[in-house]
Amino acid sequence: MSEPTTSSAGTSVRRKEDARLLTGNGRYVSDLTLPRMRHVAFLRSPLGHARIREVDTSRARAMPGVDAVVTAATPGFAGVALRAQSALPSYVETDQPVLAGEKARFSGEAVAAVVARDRYVAEDALELIDVEYDELPVTVCAWAPPQHPVHPQAPDNVLLERTFTAGDVDAAFDRADVVVERDLTTNRHGGNPIECRAGVARWEAADRRLTFWSGTQVPHIVRTVLAELLDLPESNVRVIAPDVGGGFGVKAVVYPEDLALCLLARQLPGVAVKWVEDRAEHLLAATHARDHRYRLRAGFTADGRLLALDADVTCNVGAYSVYPWTAGIEPLMAGGLLTGPYRLDDYRATVRGVATNTAPSGPYRGVARPASVFAMETIMDTAARRLGISTVDIRDRNLIRPEDVPYRMPSKLVDDSGQYGQCLARALELFGLDEFRAEQQRRRVARQPPIGMGVACYNELTGLGRAASAGPRMPFRTGHDACTVRVNPDGRVVVFSGVTSQGQGLETTVAQIVADGLGVGYDDVEVRFGDTTESLWGFGAFSSRQAVIGGGAANLAATAVKDKVLELAAGLLEAEPSDLALHDGEVSVAGQREPRLSLAEIARVAYLETHRLPDGIDPGLDATRFYDPIRGAFAAGAQVATVEIDRSTGQLRILAWVCVEDAGNVIHPKIVEGQIAGAIAQGIGGALYEHLVYDDAGNLSTGTLLDYLMPTSAEVPDLVIDHICEPAANPLGVRGVGEGGTLAPNAVLAGAVADALGIEIDDLPVTPAAVWKGLT
Amino acid sequence: MKPGRFEYLRAAGVAEAVRALVEAGGDGKLLAGGQSLVPLLSMRLSRPAVVVDINRIPDLAGIDGTDGTAPSVLRVGAMTRHAALVEQRSHPLLAEAARWIGHAAIRSRGTLGGSLAHADPAAELPAVAVATGAVAHVTGPDGERTVAADGLFDGPLMTALQEYEVLTAVDLPVPSRWGFAELARRHGDFALVLAVVAEVDGRWRIAVGGVAGTPQRLACAEALLNGDGATPAEVAEAAATEVRPGSDVHAPARYRQAITGELVRRALARADAEVMS
Amino acid sequence: MKVGMTVNGVGEQVDVEPRRTLADALREDLALTGTHLGCEHGVCGACTVLVDGQPVRACLMFAVQAEGASVVTVEGLAGVDGTLHPLQRAFSEHHGLQCGFCTSGMLMSALHLLRTEPNPGRERVREELAGNLCRCTGYAGIIDAVVAAAAELGTTLREP
Repeated sequence: MSEPTTSSAGTSVRRKEDARLLTGNGRYVSDLTLPRMRHVAFLRSPLGHARIREVDTSRARAMPGVDAVVTAATPGFAGVALRAQSALPSYVETDQPVLAGEKARFSGEAVAAVVARDRYVAEDALELIDVEYDELPVTVCAWAPPQHPVHPQAPDNVLLERTFTAGDVDAAFDRADVVVERDLTTNRHGGNPIECRAGVARWEAADRRLTFWSGTQVPHIVRTVLAELLDLPESNVRVIAPDVGGGFGVKAVVYPEDLALCLLARQLPGVAVKWVEDRAEHLLAATHARDHRYRLRAGFTADGRLLALDADVTCNVGAYSVYPWTAGIEPLMAGGLLTGPYRLDDYRATVRGVATNTAPSGPYRGVARPASVFAMETIMDTAARRLGISTVDIRDRNLIRPEDVPYRMPSKLVDDSGQYGQCLARALELFGLDEFRAEQQRRRVARQPPIGMGVACYNELTGLGRAASAGPRMPFRTGHDACTVRVNPDGRVVVFSGVTSQGQGLETTVAQIVADGLGVGYDDVEVRFGDTTESLWGFGAFSSRQAVIGGGAANLAATAVKDKVLELAAGLLEAEPSDLALHDGEVSVAGQREPRLSLAEIARVAYLETHRLPDGIDPGLDATRFYDPIRGAFAAGAQVATVEIDRSTGQLRILAWVCVEDAGNVIHPKIVEGQIAGAIAQGIGGALYEHLVYDDAGNLSTGTLLDYLMPTSAEVPDLVIDHICEPAANPLGVRGVGEGGTLAPNAVLAGAVADALGIEIDDLPVTPAAVWKGLT
Repeated sequence: MKPGRFEYLRAAGVAEAVRALVEAGGDGKLLAGGQSLVPLLSMRLSRPAVVVDINRIPDLAGIDGTDGTAPSVLRVGAMTRHAALVEQRSHPLLAEAARWIGHAAIRSRGTLGGSLAHADPAAELPAVAVATGAVAHVTGPDGERTVAADGLFDGPLMTALQEYEVLTAVDLPVPSRWGFAELARRHGDFALVLAVVAEVDGRWRIAVGGVAGTPQRLACAEALLNGDGATPAEVAEAAATEVRPGSDVHAPARYRQAITGELVRRALARADAEVMS
Repeated sequence: MKVGMTVNGVGEQVDVEPRRTLADALREDLALTGTHLGCEHGVCGACTVLVDGQPVRACLMFAVQAEGASVVTVEGLAGVDGTLHPLQRAFSEHHGLQCGFCTSGMLMSALHLLRTEPNPGRERVREELAGNLCRCTGYAGIIDAVVAAAAELGTTLREP
């Protein structure tokens, strides 16, 4: 039966996902077993850049247990490529082949694929494939002179360059009392969900249908590109994303391996082909991120007002422009959001995406902003020190205020939050700024290990509508989502949503939204998503959009169904719809205590006893609605932390961490806080531990989890999380919370080291060795 | 990431294990706790034709000298798990070092013998063996022999064990005083640097891990420590000047060198500073 | 090779190549897919199961080594009637899981911890769960859950 509450939003109801996930009954793609299933392994280039002279698969093909071995030359594979498109004038379009043909452009790029009885045998067969390579000069650093073009279309390796300008920067610098400059680099790292990528593809030749189970965040985008590249009607392609073990953006990309599996399936009709990426493959070939350089110059007045910002940003986009987001995803986000939550009229930023012989860069939680926020906040800290004002005061003087909203940023994005000062003030209150300063001073006098405080403010652009749409002028705009709410004849509700979930608990949140919007109990709502045959078009999960856009669509659809329920009930009760209310699945009449009709009775009429339908009302009880917020909802945030530093080893210990964000209305408090906590943990990982390092020859030096260090429970501190709730202008008044947490830790931790020791951190991550070096 | 094919033999005794290695003709590999070997097999960096499992050999696991008396030397079977090393009370240094190894699910399988035979230069137990002057008992086709820990390690993942030899037990002198200090990037990681100081038979020995291809004895620092009047700071400084570590993605050489001094200082502080005054 | 073992109290036999890991045998041969593989080189902890009561990375043990052993996986944690183990309940109540992929290994490590240390403090839980990577939660909910389960279980931790 229903939970007794009439409103589900704002309460941490039990997640619908938990029962199966806690008992080992999750349905992940890597768990899927189908009749006649075969297993795929990819042979990957051991070289960073090489011409491929010959691939000899004859020995592998002859191995018992091997069904197929394919290369770029195999009919059906030759010439098939992903091509990420953008209408930006400077963008150089390049292809990403399914399997490397003419040359391999990064170490780990797939060169051949084996289909075999099981994964063990498939990997045995990989050892029997002989590839002749001619090594080419390798470029791994995006700001070093290119050795040899990665793509012939871009001789200088620049795939995209754009300059953002607002006002008159040079004149503003002339007015500035001080000018500060910083050169900063950020460390390449990646999403590393605990479940790596996985896919199972099956081709039914008789009716030309392809089914692709994929641990993807974007099943509909996958369907569209598969249909296009395999020349199939979209209705013949079904993409299913069941339980997915984490995504974080890495799984919002369409990969060559996805395409390879589907092409293999078409060569082996009726055979399901399965590939589960292993961790070494993930580190080598799933998208990386955040390998950036920022050269910044900023002008301030003597009292700390930011007057001008001039930036040159280079992003290492790796060997390919990822589908569909393009090589522009990071540089354009960096240039568009660099000024963050600060008021600024005069701005110039040139951003570029440079191809190198490294794994492609793609969307990763926070997209570019963990790096750009680090750059901007570092400039603020530097200016504060130069001007002799506190790092808090300089922010206070520049933050976008409630009265500035809607605030048009220099990149022309419109900020609708304005709660930055409120977030910062609340964070400092929870943090205890005065106590911190007293303790810092006490330790200085007592010659005890120094502590420092870092602070960062940020604006997270969430739920991007068509005007703000994620991605750089791609051939499609990711602004909307659809939702169908259906009341079944038994009065229970099933929801088909276009969003997807990789752990964010959307089954729960969407059910709460529909339960409240319709007027039924949470337990009476079931949510389905991730299957392109079940839900209408939905872009899926990225850019902190699910609650804003998917939730908005769910709310609109639920409300529409409720309207019909009340209309139908009004006919049955000979009352006015406006006198009726639907709560907990029961219709009652205003002024009467006892409910008059249950939703089940009404649903029965709508489907089964249609002879009782009032005039003018069609059978059935469902509604489909699309929602597009047009712009988006900015979420303000501030984080403050204390670190203690061991002077003799440079080791950091985090003593306290506070985060306050404007999430708007909070639907499920525990899920919201879980999103923020998880995001901060990833941010801390990127700031202190995680670093994908290539050597000069293009080999990944951090190819296992022994070297790629993600934070454990021993490294992530207890977090204090609080909210400012300024409802956004969307049906639920919500703001996205998926990414904001990742934006601050780089800046907070670098700032804390500077505060404790006076050491300026130019390069991330902040390792003990780097701190120690600064001390000596 | 799946291992290549191999033949599997579950040895019932040491002699059978040695025989299996001989028959494999250099293409055999002993499987102890598997915590280092199995990843190498799965990544196909190690491709033995025969894997000889010594987990079920009776008497290879266990600790002698735990009968309540305080032994001067503890004999520990090669297949004794790290978890058991943590639990035992006779050799506190051994227990402390084992506590630093990985995580519970690693310590429940990993073994003393496996750790020494694998010879990771940043591992805890090889450094303890060197610092305490341990002696390894080894059985091969020609019978049994002993190898002193000082001569056991030849380089990264290389030991003086011959191809067909099985490490069966280790004699670990129980130091009268000792100190252990380690610095790692994260909880449970291999050490960036670790330092072990141990007073055995009235003489101090120092071994550090993570700074060379093998655990390294620090002769100069030891000499200072065993002489008169050196302060811990002087010993630590000598330690830092005595090592020539390399660089990797986790730390540059200069950093490792500097913290070697600091870790030796910490180990000495734990060992009981009275000796220095 | 034929291998007999007890899995979650049930006698099972599998016929596997010696190179097949225990994790793959559980997942592929016994269809117990609750044990997950996150790295296959012994770092992430997702595949942690109990073998004869001890926590083990199932990716670092071959199935043939489990001959005669008693293996407990996440599927063996709840009661036969589906009643969740107090740890499972606590994970749900304290939001100790999001995507659920690390959860099985996390639960098994936590179970072993509470059996050996019925009342660990927050810091001990932090240390002891450091062998299990979670990418979603930031660990806060997991630590809350284990501490709460410890309080509930007290010293009466039952065998699953």
